[in-house]
Amino acid sequence: MKDSEGTDLERRGVLIWLSRGFLALWAPAAAGVATSFLKAPSSEHRPGDKAIRAGALSSLPVGDARFVHHGNDPFFVLRVSEGQVLAVSAICTHMRCVLRWDRETSTFQCPCHDGSFDRKGNVLGGPPKKPLPQYPAEVRADEIVVHT
Amino acid sequence: MSRAGRWFWAFALVLSAGSVSIAAEPARAQAPGAVREETTRPPRVAPTGVAPAKGSAMCGVCHSDIRVKYEKGIHKSEGVPCTSCHGGNSAALTVEGAHGAGFRGKPARRSIPALCASCHADVARMRFYNLPSDQYALYQLSYHGMKLAKGDESVAVCTDCHGVHEIRKPEDPKSQVFGRNIPGTCGKCHGDAAFRKRHGLKQDPVSDYKAGVHGKAYLSGDDPSAPDCTRCHGSHGATPPGVGDVEKVCGQCHLKTRTYFLASPHKEAMDQAGQPECAACHNSHKTQAVPPAEFAASCLGCHDKGDKEYRVGLTLARMKDDAASEIEKADKWVAQAAAIPLYVDDYRSRLQDARTALLEAAPVTHSLDSTLVEPHTRKARSIAARVSEEVREKISSRWWNKVGLGLFWFYLLLTAAVIMRARRRAAGRSR
Amino acid sequence: MESNREGKRSLLGWLESRVNLTEIVSFLSVFGLLPAELDSRKPLREALREAMSQPLPSYARWPRVLGILSFLLFLFLVATGTMLAFYYQPTAEQAYPSVTLIARDVAFGVLIHQVHYWSAALFLILLGMRVIRFFFQGLYARGREVVWMAAVLTFVAAAIADLTGRLLPYDASGYWTTVRAREVTDALPILGPITSFLVGGNGLDSTVLTRYYVLHIAIFPILLLLLFYIHFSSVRRVGMSRVEAAPAAKRSLRVAMYDLFLLVIFMVGGLMTLAVLFPQPFDAVANPILTPPDARPPWYLLAPLALMEALSFLPKILRGVIPEAILAVVLILPFLDRESGSGARRMLFRVLGIVLLVGWGALTWIGWYLEVGR
Repeated sequence: MKDSEGTDLERRGVLIWLSRGFLALWAPAAAGVATSFLKAPSSEHRPGDKAIRAGALSSLPVGDARFVHHGNDPFFVLRVSEGQVLAVSAICTHMRCVLRWDRETSTFQCPCHDGSFDRKGNVLGGPPKKPLPQYPAEVRADEIVVHT
Repeated sequence: MSRAGRWFWAFALVLSAGSVSIAAEPARAQAPGAVREETTRPPRVAPTGVAPAKGSAMCGVCHSDIRVKYEKGIHKSEGVPCTSCHGGNSAALTVEGAHGAGFRGKPARRSIPALCASCHADVARMRFYNLPSDQYALYQLSYHGMKLAKGDESVAVCTDCHGVHEIRKPEDPKSQVFGRNIPGTCGKCHGDAAFRKRHGLKQDPVSDYKAGVHGKAYLSGDDPSAPDCTRCHGSHGATPPGVGDVEKVCGQCHLKTRTYFLASPHKEAMDQAGQPECAACHNSHKTQAVPPAEFAASCLGCHDKGDKEYRVGLTLARMKDDAASEIEKADKWVAQAAAIPLYVDDYRSRLQDARTALLEAAPVTHSLDSTLVEPHTRKARSIAARVSEEVREKISSRWWNKVGLGLFWFYLLLTAAVIMRARRRAAGRSR
Repeated sequence: MESNREGKRSLLGWLESRVNLTEIVSFLSVFGLLPAELDSRKPLREALREAMSQPLPSYARWPRVLGILSFLLFLFLVATGTMLAFYYQPTAEQAYPSVTLIARDVAFGVLIHQVHYWSAALFLILLGMRVIRFFFQGLYARGREVVWMAAVLTFVAAAIADLTGRLLPYDASGYWTTVRAREVTDALPILGPITSFLVGGNGLDSTVLTRYYVLHIAIFPILLLLLFYIHFSSVRRVGMSRVEAAPAAKRSLRVAMYDLFLLVIFMVGGLMTLAVLFPQPFDAVANPILTPPDARPPWYLLAPLALMEALSFLPKILRGVIPEAILAVVLILPFLDRESGSGARRMLFRVLGIVLLVGWGALTWIGWYLEVGR
């Protein structure tokens, strides 16, 4: 009798501790949600930041351009000289076609209606009238960063 | 010698040469009837008494209303006086004196082109304004000029487009020949139903132009590269292009389209059949891309339903329609995902590529060769299809949220059970 | 008992000998969240045990649940709102992108955002229900004037907090709801000028948005906290509710606390369910030039709108006075209906209340379908 009462009490104690532990799980769960929400975005990459990383500078030869996908507004990054880069919109100002880079002539060519732009985005020929917009670009530790 | 110095001497030389030539000619200029000569070579009517700065001088005392208009114009600011067109003596203090020797009064309508040409066809005089001097030659080749030569005075002469006394530069937005005002200027005659009836013109070019893609794009200011009337017809040499010349005119801007069209069987066949090339499908003034719904119908103008050619047309139309509808579908999925909101920038970028491929297909269509068109439309279709699929997958992957909610409730109910048990015990004890 | 005696060994005991924990915790009871006294001279465990064993009617059970539940929602709103404020930027240019950032890129961002939205919606509804309950159960009679007025004012303050919150995402629906709401408030003779004084003109640019933001995250939350405090403390003085003050089965406070836990749990569950299954759709960014066809003021302003439209034959100032007069009468109801409990007059006020409520509902319905002005 006494024995069984003892185990019963023991069992009850274990049960109470189990249920307390179970209830206590709510705290780390809530804390987890809150901390992952509040964690400050790293300075390297901020979500929704307008700075777009456009690849390594060293992988882009001087005088060449690279196409960068970016939502509705893709752009080209050009390496003008050793340390200077340009970012020019890749969308033709005529009918919004995506431009192609022509390395030989250092121009952007529109595949749709033969519009052409120089590497700074000025109109060289064809139907477009407005120049291509430029975006500020900089180099941070061999990484090209474009601000749109 | 410095660069500026060189320029100075060159300029001085030219100036002195100019003044010598002007001084040498007044005697010929005075000859009455000189302006009425109608030769391709313009008569050299030098203005009587070039008196810069003074402009209207005494004329404006009586003709004050004209003076007001004249002073707004380019001829005032460039120092071309009244007498260079009207003759007479602007310095005279009496009407008789002013309207005396060499006075021309209102120039006859027929003589106006030649009168203007007396200065404007003078290469030496025009080159420092960087103005062309071939307008008169072009005018004489134009429909306007040819009809005038035959004695039809109802056609346009210089003053109808450029103004009479208030002549402004074409760059001046108030000018009648300023880009956006041109359809209205041409429309003064060609937009007038009575005028067209008199001359047996069947089309209403100005209304059609305004309703077409060119007019809409140009007049709304959306696309300053869209053409006005003169881009296709010329201005001084205004002439409608003939059947075999339409592609040349359109091809000025639609370079790729022209290349493919020239290589296509349409070029020769249309010229032989007297079909106005581009305008046969796209209209002349009410220019438009052939709407997908009317594509088949536009072929039926020349081809029969059973023809091989008609089937080629249908194939081309279907390829473009398929690509366009696939892109439209992908657009809807992307919009739906963006409203959730999910990150869709990459998909948008890829759809831009698809749209470019579809636009690229448009000029190629004119080759009538489906093997050339197919790579473009296939690219557009496959990009759009892949985007649709990926976005759909991304949207549907959110069912995990509901699974999470289910697990959450499971845990929640378990917690509630634990609390209920404790509560029951507490209630029992307190009783 | 043992752990208290040998306090030096346990953390609680260690703290207890340096800080009066009981006194710190007793703020809960002073505030009114715990309807029991905590003896701050006793150690925490003992004081709690004592308080817990006091017999009390459960305040966490229907129908007295509305007050505590709305206060819990308020705490939830403060918690989620504080989290959102870590990312939100109150300028016309950055508001929408920052909310997009929360909803799209931040971990659990969309959940926090939706929970905040649904907490606000439920908060207002519960406060409204509480006023209605107080009215029909006569819980505004002599001695309970402060309770009644605090309840009414809490509802009004919550409505304003809700209104100011709607503009913050700067999306199309929030923007135009605010524009339409301002049309209603500007027509009111006293509240209109006060609104204009506080938030400025009709153009909802960054300067105005910042003011809405400060009102939403600082002024009105503090006001609400104050009103809750006045309400709870008055309830502690005059008793939970006269009608149900002596129920047959009194339970200990401990049982009431378990009830409270259950309430919290199911509230969290309900909010999560609403947030996941019925997310507020993410609207396009506000375009001040483009009015969406379904732009309406928020639901609590539909009735005043319809009323003022219906009375358009009156001079403008009179039109605005009527909704304000109704609000004023509701507020000072305890002083008008002094002999509550006594037959005919009590009956009259009940009928008037029902008429007002039904009229309010009908006007809200009319306001929803009203095409006002344009």
